Amino acid sequence: MISFQPTDEEQSFAEMALDFAIKHIRPNARLCEKERTVISDIAQKAVELGFSTLELPESWAGLELPLISQVQIWQALSYGDLAVVQGIPGAGDAASLIRLDPDAPPLQAYKDLGMGSDSWPKVAFIDVLNRERLYKSDLTLTPSGSGYVLNGTSPPVIQARTAESAAIAAVDDQGEAAVLWLNHGGWQVKEGDFRLGLLAAGLGRLSFNEYHVGAEEVIARGQAALELMKKVENRIRVLQAAKEVGLMEAALNYVVEYTAGRKAFGQEIAKFQGVSFTVADMAFETAACRHLVWRAALKVEEEPSDSLGTSLSALYRAHKAMRFVTDSAVQLLGGHGYVQEYPAEKWMRDAQAQTVLYGREKDLLMRRGEKILETAKEEIR
Amino acid sequence: MISYEMSPQQKQIKELVHWFAENEMRPISLEADRQEKVPDEWLEKVNRMGIQLNTSSFVGSARSGDTEKSAKKKEREGNRLAVIASEEMAWGDPAIALSLPGPGLGGPPVQSSGTPEQKQRFLSIFTKDKPRWGAYALTEPEAGSDASGIRTTAKKVDGGYVLNGQKIFITNGGRASWVVVFATVDRNLGRAGHRAFVVEKGTPGFRTTHLAHKMGLRANETAELLFEDCFVPAENLLGGEELYATAGNRPSGFQVAMKTFDSTRPIVAAMAVGIARAAYEYTKAIVKQEYPKHGQLYHQAVMMLADMEQEIDAARYLTWEAAWLADVGTANAKEAAMCKAVAGKMALKVCAECLELLGPEGLDGHLVEKLYRDVKVFDIFEGTNQIQHLVTARRLYAPYGVHV
Repeated sequence: MISFQPTDEEQSFAEMALDFAIKHIRPNARLCEKERTVISDIAQKAVELGFSTLELPESWAGLELPLISQVQIWQALSYGDLAVVQGIPGAGDAASLIRLDPDAPPLQAYKDLGMGSDSWPKVAFIDVLNRERLYKSDLTLTPSGSGYVLNGTSPPVIQARTAESAAIAAVDDQGEAAVLWLNHGGWQVKEGDFRLGLLAAGLGRLSFNEYHVGAEEVIARGQAALELMKKVENRIRVLQAAKEVGLMEAALNYVVEYTAGRKAFGQEIAKFQGVSFTVADMAFETAACRHLVWRAALKVEEEPSDSLGTSLSALYRAHKAMRFVTDSAVQLLGGHGYVQEYPAEKWMRDAQAQTVLYGREKDLLMRRGEKILETAKEEIR
Repeated sequence: MISYEMSPQQKQIKELVHWFAENEMRPISLEADRQEKVPDEWLEKVNRMGIQLNTSSFVGSARSGDTEKSAKKKEREGNRLAVIASEEMAWGDPAIALSLPGPGLGGPPVQSSGTPEQKQRFLSIFTKDKPRWGAYALTEPEAGSDASGIRTTAKKVDGGYVLNGQKIFITNGGRASWVVVFATVDRNLGRAGHRAFVVEKGTPGFRTTHLAHKMGLRANETAELLFEDCFVPAENLLGGEELYATAGNRPSGFQVAMKTFDSTRPIVAAMAVGIARAAYEYTKAIVKQEYPKHGQLYHQAVMMLADMEQEIDAARYLTWEAAWLADVGTANAKEAAMCKAVAGKMALKVCAECLELLGPEGLDGHLVEKLYRDVKVFDIFEGTNQIQHLVTARRLYAPYGVHV
């Protein structure tokens, strides 16, 4: 039955997340950006409240929440600040890999590490499976014996600077896919010169020089790797899109309050339709995205191997809408939108960085479109 | 629990209406557009089948008592059924859908504000013996979006009211058995002076002066109505005198008019979604068949189709949300405005892009050019896109006490 009523459990978890976002994340967002990390106080509280383990399976002492519940929680958290949320300690995007293959032997050392301590170590998740080689320095994966040799530098990913483990999905020289899990460090972290956004999220690159990957570090190869990653990517797209919706909601609500109070030409600027209509457009985009994300969250779990289209569409629209909504927020605050005394400029920077990190919009659209023309098999409706 | 899955009843309705749309509406679609008329014999046939347009509870209305009874025990889903059915109907043909017999846009005000006697008298006439219509007359030459500015007067006389004025753009206004007409008892009272009347066909002083020729929706009748010293008995004042007895916080005729939109806007939005889907599916099939499988054209098509698909889906879900809120008894004015704004704009964009994909050939006898002409008005009637922005913004700013 078509319904948009969250369960009581979802509602109370999301309310708790929103409370944490408003009371703790938002007030510390600038500080975290300045420190280029999630300050320990926030990180610790987030871990205590269970936000690091939403996606982890119960066998890993995780909450193993369904995606539809998680998206509501991530939306609420990101209402505080997207960069902080992206920097919350734990497996990050790699949690979806763990969720789908919890018993994979290469993961067990990480599992032991996490279950034996108060918090889960950070993981850099490098997915270059669908990435065409663009730069000379790009990662290369060469089969060697029963393992591989890694060379080159990863694209920037979140959590890279302090990652204790790395998950890598790539195609080797022979054109075969592989999913690897590296626990032993030995890579070089390139901290780089990041200024645009998500600065609290540990952005950086991992660089490998003749790095030997043993067979015991390989989670999957070939078709199995592709199948696994297809499902992992679907989940990540949905979770990331949910965070984007949370940021949009923050920007929308902030702008409504600001424009209701700010006066120009003798009246609240909300009374100018140039302002109020833009705000309405922001509301339309935010609500539209929320639906696509919720829909995808349900579909991805109902049909994990046949939900590429919904996750691609949801993330595509979220990227596009988030750029529009955060830009509009800056615009409607005028000069105040551009300076750091107000949060809007940060939201716009974070949004832009987020869209670049999580898939090119045109690529998302193209992949969905190819699927539409290729086969009528996956009907979204 | 959040769910985008239709209930078995919703699925059944969707399939049933889709079958009707595909097999009964589509085959006459282009011809009805050419003739600017839905054939009478077709209307009689579908009326005998019990197919009607009732925008207050589109499906399962007077005709299917059993369904209603069982629905009462369960969760109310009339509004969701209505938007699901409306999407399919419009997918078939929006002009024909709007011409289907039934109370049409006149249904909601009678349903929500009529006395039990009026509901019985006006809503029970839609029977299988003969197609009949209801209509809704608010717009005037000088009062469109600003409905508070209506000039049609209602002068109280012995036993009723005398109406004078003109109404335009009235869907099915000429053929309707009755029309809900909004008029003012005193322009100085503003909105508080508004009253809604049910004016029956054949009432002396009430006539149709013109049928409009339009860009699209040509098969659907759009009438101009004239009221010249038209006497309407007191029992046709919607809701009776009691409804307006104390002006203060009692509902005015204006509120009757506005409240109607909370249920009709999601219907209109759903129809826009149906039109967009029709254009998208039609175009997708042609692209699959005719386009090269690689190269620049292929890539353009791929991206445009993917973009359209998510736009259509998003608009549909917003529409479902507005309908769901109505079903669970929560105020939905903002969501009704939002889905209408998004769907109306989206649908025109999708139709335009489909025409682009079809190329010049698409202009020659293809359904999509008709859908493009039809769909434009969905961003205008039942409140223009700008009015939907205004309604949405008002609701957003209400918590801050700022009236925009």
